[in-house]
Amino acid sequence: MNPLGPLYRAIEWMPIAAQDAVVLLVLLLPALVVGGLVIFGYRPFSLVRAMLWRFRWTNLLFIGLIAVSVGIGVGLIAQERGLRQGTARAADPFDLIVAAPGSEITMLFAAVYLQPSDVPLLSGDTYQSIATAENVSLAAPIAFGDSYNAYPIVGSTPQFVTHMSPALVEGAMFRGHADAVIGSGVDLTIGATFTPAHGVGDAVEHDAHAQFKYTVVGRMQPTGSPWDRSIVVPVEAVWEVHGLANGHAPERADQLGPPFDPDYFPGTPAVLVSAEQLYANYALRAQFQTAETMAFFPGAVLASLHGLMGDVRQVMSVMAVITQVLVTTGVLVGLVILMRLFARRLALLRALGAPSRFVFSVVWSYAATLIFIGAVAGVGVGFLAAAIISRVVTAQTDILVNATLSWPEFHLVAGFISLTVLLALVPAFIALSRPVITDLRS
Amino acid sequence: MTLGLTINALAVTAASGRMLLDVPKLHLAPGSCLGVRGPSGAGKSTFLFSLAGLIENASGAVTWGETNLLQMPAGARAAFRRRSVGMVFQDFLLFEELSASANAALSGAYSDPAHQKAIESKAEEVLTRLGISHGARTVDSFSGGERQRVAIARALASDPAVILADEPTASLDRKTADALIDDLLALVRDTGKTLVAVSHDPAVYTRMDRVIEIVDGRIATDEAAR
Repeated sequence: MNPLGPLYRAIEWMPIAAQDAVVLLVLLLPALVVGGLVIFGYRPFSLVRAMLWRFRWTNLLFIGLIAVSVGIGVGLIAQERGLRQGTARAADPFDLIVAAPGSEITMLFAAVYLQPSDVPLLSGDTYQSIATAENVSLAAPIAFGDSYNAYPIVGSTPQFVTHMSPALVEGAMFRGHADAVIGSGVDLTIGATFTPAHGVGDAVEHDAHAQFKYTVVGRMQPTGSPWDRSIVVPVEAVWEVHGLANGHAPERADQLGPPFDPDYFPGTPAVLVSAEQLYANYALRAQFQTAETMAFFPGAVLASLHGLMGDVRQVMSVMAVITQVLVTTGVLVGLVILMRLFARRLALLRALGAPSRFVFSVVWSYAATLIFIGAVAGVGVGFLAAAIISRVVTAQTDILVNATLSWPEFHLVAGFISLTVLLALVPAFIALSRPVITDLRS
Repeated sequence: MTLGLTINALAVTAASGRMLLDVPKLHLAPGSCLGVRGPSGAGKSTFLFSLAGLIENASGAVTWGETNLLQMPAGARAAFRRRSVGMVFQDFLLFEELSASANAALSGAYSDPAHQKAIESKAEEVLTRLGISHGARTVDSFSGGERQRVAIARALASDPAVILADEPTASLDRKTADALIDDLLALVRDTGKTLVAVSHDPAVYTRMDRVIEIVDGRIATDEAAR
């Protein structure tokens, strides 16, 4: 349960940005109230500046520790959101997937994120029933199994390429079985030829299809998905390369794309389906949720995964705050030790007649300043961490992740500031309990 | 405003039970200057801190004017010091990273806004009189004599009735010490303040109106300065 839920419900009439700003303010309120009460009527900041300057390197170390712990915490949480958005964007073009019964997640990873695994195939008759079902505008079979220079080669139809990339960035759609359209991130040029390797990853056999060459004829628009690093070729070619029938009767062997002949259809692990109307996808899903087929919305499976990640996110948020508080507690313990170095100055203030609350405000303001600067620097570190981790995740998964800090992270930092400036009251109390005469003579 | 001092049965005992200070009776007229001398460890500083109300386990009466410090809680004693006592220490105890002006006007940071301007103005006036013209410079580059002058300006900035000085010339060379004590006495006498200065330095206590010698926590001699 989100502890801020009741607050959000109370202000749901406000614009979203205003709600977030109000929540930020509410989270900062304890710090502001404590600060106001502690400092009210005094001007401790010249002394705080002096204390900050006197032990500037130690203070910088404390600020750095806080900044790194805050930055990594919020950076990771932002990353989780960026990953969710990236995976959702990558799945966006895939309305409905029909496959043989099995794991929806396995099939989602195979079809959407191009992480193929061994799955049962759908027969030609099944494909035919899908392709000819009412309201189906696209029924694209896919065929995996080959690669070139670590780029997966995916067999499908010209209609599927148009669905993924309504316009090509350069070149044209494949017209022959040996033509290929490449994703935006594939390092090949139009007109380049290549021989597919059998398999993907470490298990590739480079010479298995040595007799076959594809020619690059077009390049798709960027999609922000693993398809940007894919090479899409006619599904007929993939079947032919593997010595199978090419989906069409011999007299129509040169045809590309549907209709396919069930008698010559070697099988497909999944059919990517799009309906003419959005609502029709639901009817199609119901229609193909049978003993022989499994139909699912990638978005819905992803939502379930994200739901699980939502729990993880909450755990991550709590862990991030706990980590930050632990680091800050360490810093505050350091401050208590550092206060011994300041003890003579604080004793001087008390000997001169400064009110206890003033001495308290000097120590608290000093600690709160370190925490505040550390937290603000942590936001900067968080932006940097999110950008760096995004690059790494994008490079590793081919899913475009553009993580950046947003209101939830700012709220986390605000909560962190409030919690830790309350903890900063402890060294201030400890400083007051020190003996004046002993410290003056130290 | 001037304040006189009356001590009755002042006793300070260590946690071990050892007697640190035993002053049955002492009276100091308002505006007078008292020198306190004696061997190291005799109780001079304990005596001075008792006059400031800084010793927690003191008994008896330390009365400035009508105010008996030993009957007051710590907060009220601090308020009295804030209002009526300026203190000067042997090793200056300045905030090295602050300017001379900021150090001298330190009490302005915790005074009410009405008094803050007066404190800043008085601090500047005393600094000028003591020859510290570069008030904006941080004191970490100051000589010992300059630092002690800043400390004196800090003690006088809130225009207290009493100045308590603990070995004010101990960290200075002879020439600087003489000049400093001249300046301190001139400032104190011009404004009728009461001064109690603990010192090993004959050049300090011989220039006071009266000198007491503390030995083993007791006043051994009490005489007008020569």
